Amino acid sequence: MDQYDYSDVQRVSVGSGLENELCAIMYTDEYKELISIFVGLLQQNEVSERAFAVTTAVIENAAALYTAWNYRFEIGTALFQDQDRWEKELDWLDEFTLNNPKNYQIWSYRQAVISQQQKPQFVRDLPILDLMIEDDTKNYHVWSYRKWSVQFFKDWSHELDFVNKYIDRDVYNNSAWTHRAFYLQNIDPTEHESIFDAEISYCFEKISMAPQNVSPWNYLRFIYGSFKNNEFDARLVEFASSFIGTVLEVGTDSNSVAPHVRSSFALELLADIYAKRDSNKAKIAYQALADTWDPIRKHYWNLRIKQL
Amino acid sequence: MTIKSTARAAKKISYLRTNVLGRKREPVEREVEVETEEEVMELTTSNTELVTETLVEREKLIDDCLYLYDTAPEKLNHLQKDFHKIFLEYWLNNPLPSGFKSLDASQPWLFYWIGNAFKTLNPNWLNTDQQNRIIDKLWYISPEGGPFSGGKHQLPHLAANYASINSIALCHDINNSIELNKNAIYGWLVSLKTPDGAFLTTRPVGERDVRGVYTALSISSLLGIMDSNLTQNVTNFLISCQSYEGGFGGCPNDEAHGGYTFCAVASLALLNALDKINIEALLSWCSSRQSKEEKGLNGRSNKLVDGCYSFWVGGTAAILEAYGYGVCIDKDALKQYILKCCQTEKSPGLRDKPGTQADFYHTNYVLAGLSICEHSFSAKGSSPLDLIAIPRVEAPEVEAINPIYGITVQDVHNFATRHNESFQLPNLSMKV
Repeated sequence: MDQYDYSDVQRVSVGSGLENELCAIMYTDEYKELISIFVGLLQQNEVSERAFAVTTAVIENAAALYTAWNYRFEIGTALFQDQDRWEKELDWLDEFTLNNPKNYQIWSYRQAVISQQQKPQFVRDLPILDLMIEDDTKNYHVWSYRKWSVQFFKDWSHELDFVNKYIDRDVYNNSAWTHRAFYLQNIDPTEHESIFDAEISYCFEKISMAPQNVSPWNYLRFIYGSFKNNEFDARLVEFASSFIGTVLEVGTDSNSVAPHVRSSFALELLADIYAKRDSNKAKIAYQALADTWDPIRKHYWNLRIKQL
Repeated sequence: MTIKSTARAAKKISYLRTNVLGRKREPVEREVEVETEEEVMELTTSNTELVTETLVEREKLIDDCLYLYDTAPEKLNHLQKDFHKIFLEYWLNNPLPSGFKSLDASQPWLFYWIGNAFKTLNPNWLNTDQQNRIIDKLWYISPEGGPFSGGKHQLPHLAANYASINSIALCHDINNSIELNKNAIYGWLVSLKTPDGAFLTTRPVGERDVRGVYTALSISSLLGIMDSNLTQNVTNFLISCQSYEGGFGGCPNDEAHGGYTFCAVASLALLNALDKINIEALLSWCSSRQSKEEKGLNGRSNKLVDGCYSFWVGGTAAILEAYGYGVCIDKDALKQYILKCCQTEKSPGLRDKPGTQADFYHTNYVLAGLSICEHSFSAKGSSPLDLIAIPRVEAPEVEAINPIYGITVQDVHNFATRHNESFQLPNLSMKV
């Protein structure tokens, strides 16, 4: 802002003049001055470099001011004849993003900027997305934006390595598992059978490392839902059964030896499978979940038992 | 007890090992002590051998919660209403420090969070003077009476309209003096609609997700202006946001998330379309948000419990309950989390989790969540505007919340009686 002259701008005061104003924010004098210039320019709808510079200062002061993001975008679309300017805008946005990881406006603005570029590049998007996830591995906005970006550029080639990296780092990262499910949508139907087998093996391996982890169990259901129309096979039943000890034999009889359940999610999956085939077994499984293995969800287990 | 404390000690060691040596990046194997029979019956992630960032954080929180459940003083068996009143009343009567400029575009949210929390504690506490001050400030920001902006000289925004309309609904004593610009609000909502059945939060650049859908439908159903221009294709958009886990993401393919799931499910209730989604998976997902040790609700798989999901997920469960799908969460356990982990003796207001400070947002949604715990819900034969809440505990600590709108049942009723013409006609309550 320092390089521009704003002396002629008609300031618009930010004070309400209300008596006993509710939740008045005690703005600093600097902020009041900045906003009064910003509103002054906005009300004149001034499209200029100096107005653009004001939006930078406003956003850096209060990132959630969506009005400033919108004004900035309108100035940019009117003013930027040269593609370099949009490129520079992305540079600024990258820097800003690193300092404001939880902000809502960044991502829709980024989409709007990229849609303005004549030759947007996916590789231009990747480093900032990597950095953001590296720093906050479950950042919802970033994972969501990445899905938009992949679809916008129609480039799926980076995604599998990306999710593998984050599942390797933390097998409990559900955002990464969700992204894996997203990635699989792009698989060519001719490859379905081999991908199905590979994904099942992958899940089995990850579950064996940490059986009480809901993410790969849910993903496993997704795989069977997407590729096998929810027809759960003997391979899955056998695998899940290896985590539930003798619970289906001993049921909830408190006098018998503890059945050594290692994963309530394995028991839940089996219960859901048996619900369609063998309601007695399903009932024992749901009851064991309600009584012992996942009692906080007892209301839900009882709903399932009632439906049998 | 000894077994438990050994297990706790082992957890502490693993926590220290991973944290003192710097931030955990690589998963490490840890030794698990030989399990005794009793321990086997206690199934937690700590029975597994792989320690990652997720587990380290969660085990720390479990320790904090268990400590509070062991040591909380007797008075925290009840909501310290007069104590929390101090927190809210202070901010109704004093200006906010300059750091609140971060909420400069969310000013109506301040009125909604503070005012609604206040009224959830006691419907008579928000006096006429305070109600007048809410309305004066809203009309200072948006002198036309709608559509509403986040602050003076700002563009209208869906989130600001939701918070403004809900705030107006808190002001029942002066309801008759309020004139809303329904035509302008309607025209503006139509302008935000996208062909695929979603809404932009603002124009030209805004987010397009289920938050926008919920806020648009909440506003329009309260005002009685929800017609097919607004609802066309919306159900399809919402269906496309249900994740394979059962909950909903903000956009198609996004991760299932408590906040977005609430927005989607409340919207589907308003569209009378709950039967169009996979309810079984949703019930399972909702109930999975609760964990035995902390007793509270989290917002996503393998994330930490947070008091605000007492409403986002608890409210989702309450809507499902109201429409006859059964109760899927443990309300009594959740109430324990709220009373023992979200309030403290030392500072008023409600918080996210042990180790955090109370704020307006959490105070409101934790109290709304407490109301979910203390009531049963039914929508049998009634419009969402007249959802029925019946106390399920003796002497509830808080008022009955309408889980679709996030304000009290009484405030929804009063607002609709005044501002919704189709609601005013007998036997013609809103049908979609």
